[in-house]
Amino acid sequence: MLLGLFTVLLVLLLLHLLTTLAIQLNGNPALAFFGDHVPTAAQLHAVEVRYGLDDSCYQQPGNPCLGPFWHRLAEYAHGDFGTDLEGRPLTDLLAQALPNTLRLFVIVTITWLIIGMLLGSVAARFRGRPIDHSIRLTSVLIDAFPVFVMLVVYRFIFTVPLTTWARRTFGSDSIPALLFKPSYSEEHPWLTLIIPGLLLGLTGCAPFLRLVRAAQLENYNAEHVRTARSKGLSNAHVTAYHIVRNSSVPVVTAVGFVFADALSGAVITEGVMNIRGMGNLLWQSVQKSDVSVVVGIVTILSVVTIGVMLLVDLAYAALDPRIRLD
Amino acid sequence: MTSAAVDLEIVTDQPGGTWASVGRHMLRRPDVILATLVSLFFIVVAVFPGLFTRTDPQHCDISVAKIKPQGFGHPHPFGTDPSGCDVLAQLAHGARPSLLLAFTVVGASLIIGIALGLLSGFYLGWVDAVVSRLLEVFLVIPLLLAALLLLSLFRNIDAGDGDFATIVQPAIVLTGFGWMGYTRYVRAAVLESKNLDYVRAARALGASDLRLMFSHILPNAIASVTALVPTAIAGVISAEAVLAFLGIGVRPPAISWGIMISTGAPWFTGGYPYLLLFPLGCLLATVLSFVVIGDNLRDALDPKLK
Repeated sequence: MLLGLFTVLLVLLLLHLLTTLAIQLNGNPALAFFGDHVPTAAQLHAVEVRYGLDDSCYQQPGNPCLGPFWHRLAEYAHGDFGTDLEGRPLTDLLAQALPNTLRLFVIVTITWLIIGMLLGSVAARFRGRPIDHSIRLTSVLIDAFPVFVMLVVYRFIFTVPLTTWARRTFGSDSIPALLFKPSYSEEHPWLTLIIPGLLLGLTGCAPFLRLVRAAQLENYNAEHVRTARSKGLSNAHVTAYHIVRNSSVPVVTAVGFVFADALSGAVITEGVMNIRGMGNLLWQSVQKSDVSVVVGIVTILSVVTIGVMLLVDLAYAALDPRIRLD
Repeated sequence: MTSAAVDLEIVTDQPGGTWASVGRHMLRRPDVILATLVSLFFIVVAVFPGLFTRTDPQHCDISVAKIKPQGFGHPHPFGTDPSGCDVLAQLAHGARPSLLLAFTVVGASLIIGIALGLLSGFYLGWVDAVVSRLLEVFLVIPLLLAALLLLSLFRNIDAGDGDFATIVQPAIVLTGFGWMGYTRYVRAAVLESKNLDYVRAARALGASDLRLMFSHILPNAIASVTALVPTAIAGVISAEAVLAFLGIGVRPPAISWGIMISTGAPWFTGGYPYLLLFPLGCLLATVLSFVVIGDNLRDALDPKLK
């Protein structure tokens, strides 16, 4: 727990140092507030004060600017994550964006678990047979398709004919027509998210599938499985209780790491499909060079990732009694 | 004694050692041979784009815009895009940034990863503590978020022209967030082998730390790291395409497949599908062939999972 907090602190420091360097090399980000308009010195100073950019260290390349860093940390500790360039508090923006990203994650996780566990178990069960080889070929193919390629191909090649077809066959407000809608719609958050989530989940499931297969193969040859079989237990019982359960430890680890991957995928998915989620918010603030929002979001996402990793550690102990947490 | 006996057995079993047997395993598979040929082809394209096209990719003539593919022998065998640029010339010249970036990033991350892994596994103590913490910090920040943040923060900084200058920023970012995997593998392998009898013997004979690390311990870690390399190359190529698609990777006027995909995609349904299909095909063929090589290499080096 303490180590986790320390890591968060280091992540924050790293982000702070990098943004500071960028500000020092790039010039004053407070100018972004004014757009094309040229501000007077007093206006500029007021904005600098408001966003905590008035410290003189931002004009000296190489200065780590630790003063503003501690100041920002203290604000975060009070739950104050600052505002964006239009003055909306970051917490409000997040409250709007978070549900969509969470919905996307739910769909992604379900896709993984179903496809990864199912295909992985089947491949391990029929090791070396044609079905194993074809599952493996599928996973290699999936690996070769970057998420954005899938999404671009889907959005620009499939959505238009599919929507036209669905509208003509089922009517324009029917479920299939919404399912294939090329962009996110506010009124039907779940339906329009299913396909992007499925695609994102599909691209992430290849490493997961291989891991499930490898973990289960190790157990198929283990002595406790042979003992269980020789006691006359049914095949289904052995598979469910002795193989699948025992191979879940590495699988749970993967969930932790793949979570971080899915965060990256969410940025692309939300960008391509116009979903108003955390990724999209981040992407737009990056384009507006809204530094405080970007740092705030990345901070929150890192804290979440560390939290997930801690949960993974706890799940270990629950799944494998040999592992104890100190 | 036991380890010596085991070594002897392996030597008599497979003449030529591990690498020869890996080579034999790889050459028996037709898909590996095909994948190697494809990746070699694209490497040749990247190094000598002039062999495949004489047209300058930057020379765009709007009067010949949107010509459909005509086949070889015509001035524009793969057609032209909406601003009149030759598609074949762009494809051939677009290979270089992707592949150069991939090899630079993987090479640099290998060096950093192996060095840190060796140091932390060998010395343990505070070195290990520092490296592990650093590793965790970089693992927690997802690669794409970091790339998005850094590349847009530093996008106004001009690194100049030239092949290397256009990729130097993505290269630094992708390397910075790509070395962790190697460090973990190398560290684990070092921990496993640093107390083996032959390493102790070498130490007792007075071998220096550097010699112990590089000629006695590192060879044990190389196998698991090698298996990661082709997959990592494939990963960087697709990451480059994503960054180009988002507009923060290799930037115009430099050309890359990612840029061609993002500009060609909206034209697909408008009657010009080749604008998306050609760059997409090149990208997928390259990535797929590296993935296939990596997949088989992993099998050859880790026979347990066959």
